[in-house]
Amino acid sequence: MAPWRLTIARIRNDRWTMGSLIVVATVIVLSFAGGPIASRILGHNGYDQLPYAANITQKPVGPLSVVPALNYSAGMLASGELAPPPKGTPKTLLVFGADGPVGRDEFIRVLDGGKTSLEIAIGGALIALLIGLPLGAVGGYVGGISDAIVSRITDTIMAFPLMLFLVFASVQLDAHIRGIGISWWLPDGVVAEALLIGVFTSFYPTRLIRAQLFQLREAEFVEAAEMVGASRWRTLRSHLLPHLVPTILVWAAVAVATNILLEIGLSFIGAGVQVSTATWGSLLSTTWGTLFQPQTYNSQQFTPWQTIFPTVAVLVSVVSLNQLSEGLRQALDPFTRR
Amino acid sequence: MSDTLRFLVRRVVAGLLTVLAMVTVTFVIFWATPTQPARFVYPSVQTLTAWHIQHGDHILRIDRPKTDQYLDYVTHLFRWDFGDSWARGFALPGESAGSKGFPITEQLDAQLRVTLSLLLGGAAVVLLLSVPLGAFAGSRVGTISDRTVSLVALIGVCSHPMVLSILVRSLFHGRLHWTPPGGYCPLSNGRPGCDGPADWATHLALPWLTFALLFLALYVRMIRVSVAETLPQDFVRTARAKGASNLRVMARHVLPNAGLRVLTMIGMEIGTALGVCIYVEAAFGLPGLASRAVFAMSGSTNLDLPVIMALVFVISTIVVVGNFAVDTLYAVLDPRLALGGRPRTGKSAAGGVI
Repeated sequence: MAPWRLTIARIRNDRWTMGSLIVVATVIVLSFAGGPIASRILGHNGYDQLPYAANITQKPVGPLSVVPALNYSAGMLASGELAPPPKGTPKTLLVFGADGPVGRDEFIRVLDGGKTSLEIAIGGALIALLIGLPLGAVGGYVGGISDAIVSRITDTIMAFPLMLFLVFASVQLDAHIRGIGISWWLPDGVVAEALLIGVFTSFYPTRLIRAQLFQLREAEFVEAAEMVGASRWRTLRSHLLPHLVPTILVWAAVAVATNILLEIGLSFIGAGVQVSTATWGSLLSTTWGTLFQPQTYNSQQFTPWQTIFPTVAVLVSVVSLNQLSEGLRQALDPFTRR
Repeated sequence: MSDTLRFLVRRVVAGLLTVLAMVTVTFVIFWATPTQPARFVYPSVQTLTAWHIQHGDHILRIDRPKTDQYLDYVTHLFRWDFGDSWARGFALPGESAGSKGFPITEQLDAQLRVTLSLLLGGAAVVLLLSVPLGAFAGSRVGTISDRTVSLVALIGVCSHPMVLSILVRSLFHGRLHWTPPGGYCPLSNGRPGCDGPADWATHLALPWLTFALLFLALYVRMIRVSVAETLPQDFVRTARAKGASNLRVMARHVLPNAGLRVLTMIGMEIGTALGVCIYVEAAFGLPGLASRAVFAMSGSTNLDLPVIMALVFVISTIVVVGNFAVDTLYAVLDPRLALGGRPRTGKSAAGGVI
């Protein structure tokens, strides 16, 4: 049986891996298509502010509440509360309740946040791979002095606390890179954050690929290819690269999960995308404050849905991505028997 | 010279070189970033003239050649002296601030104590929880209770440290009022109500718990696998045949086999743990190194470079010293490893959080 057939057959036979694959696919589809579809059905998007759902005097409404679909208030009463909306105002449903003091739809923001978070996470992993693949290939296949240089660079970066580098770099980052974006599809700051995460985590794929090539370099098929006169580039491209695919896939699933958590961390430090852009990190950090000013628990103002839904979204994605990576590792290894 | 000793000497030299490389890199990076040191000397002057900048640089002693400053800095580091901060005391409008900065070493020592309390205590709690849980799950592989333990432990590792800290704090302090709100109590400072080991421990209980939850999954899983692999072996059967109790078999014959793996994990996770400290310290209001480093670095206008360099130095030193301690323990526990290097294991999912 061809190796790919075998892998697919193994994944289909493994309940946990198949389940996590389905969950990951669902999360991706929901994040990218869920927001626009939900906006169309419910009649408001993730940026619409609904004063009747939450305002300065009123705590945000909870999940499954129906509020007047007005994005302006009908004036204040003397008591400080909002005047009732005009008769015949259409109502709208907030599935996960409202967020913060401005009353946006938490449901659509969690979906949109998933899109932004995944863009950052997947983008970061791709950039790390773009940097790591050539560096790792140089280190592992060419060897010699170039390998020594690559190894020293990765060693030094690895010994340094990554988060500190990220904080420092994101503060110093040029405003032009921050401004890259395409409206809703790619909010401002996503490219910058993916770039930061990608560059500073690229040492990991570099080391993996280098280690893998180190072993493969000695294999008979490489020797055979070199013997029949294949150039180094050709050997690398058509003989060695296919062998790296399993390693890269297994790494990528974990890297996306890790990047999701990194994005949350950057949001909490205040070094992420703009606060108004929904990401899973910004949803959590608007509720709980940044690292510099953590909010304290207050039973009167406690709005658990603002914590629960993003947290559950993160947990489900990260757990299933990790599980998927583990399953892929077993399925792609030709030597595992089950 | 024995092999073990030679190995240790090699590790010490490598560690020193790593720290030196780190200091050099940070020195270069930070001098390459645009700052206005003179702002610290003249905090109340609206626009700095060339004279202000020149005079300010002179007061801060940074108008000397960079190589002189570098050598000066490195020689002072060996005496655990980080010099003075650029930030000065209070100044009246129009006046220049005092000519002395704050000595960094004192503050740093206090912060180091906080972070080490958190790290070491947290590690102890992780081990106290993961050894029984791992042994429990490992002796019943495949059952419902095994799956439950693994799943619950996994939730900790897959959530973010900041979120977990806040949730733990809201539950145990906000709702149940079991513990103090946070903050740090030194082992001895003479202040009533915040002094001595009891206050120290109660104030750190929640941070330790958070820390433990974050790292539990890795260790539980590792001990579980090790126990499951060891239980069917012949020497375990022999021990049982001699009449040893279940507890004795587990503690004396099975669990020691997991020791090296756990040690490897601890060595690899020191850097990660410091990254986690950033969030745990911030959420519980602990004045520790990691969160101070982030605070010091995230200022966009004026970076207090001496303070940042000192923090970076101490943090990378903790990683290097921790790794060295683990390697030494290795060489003591299993001298064969001193020759071949330590066994490799995968990195955790939390690895990227730092």
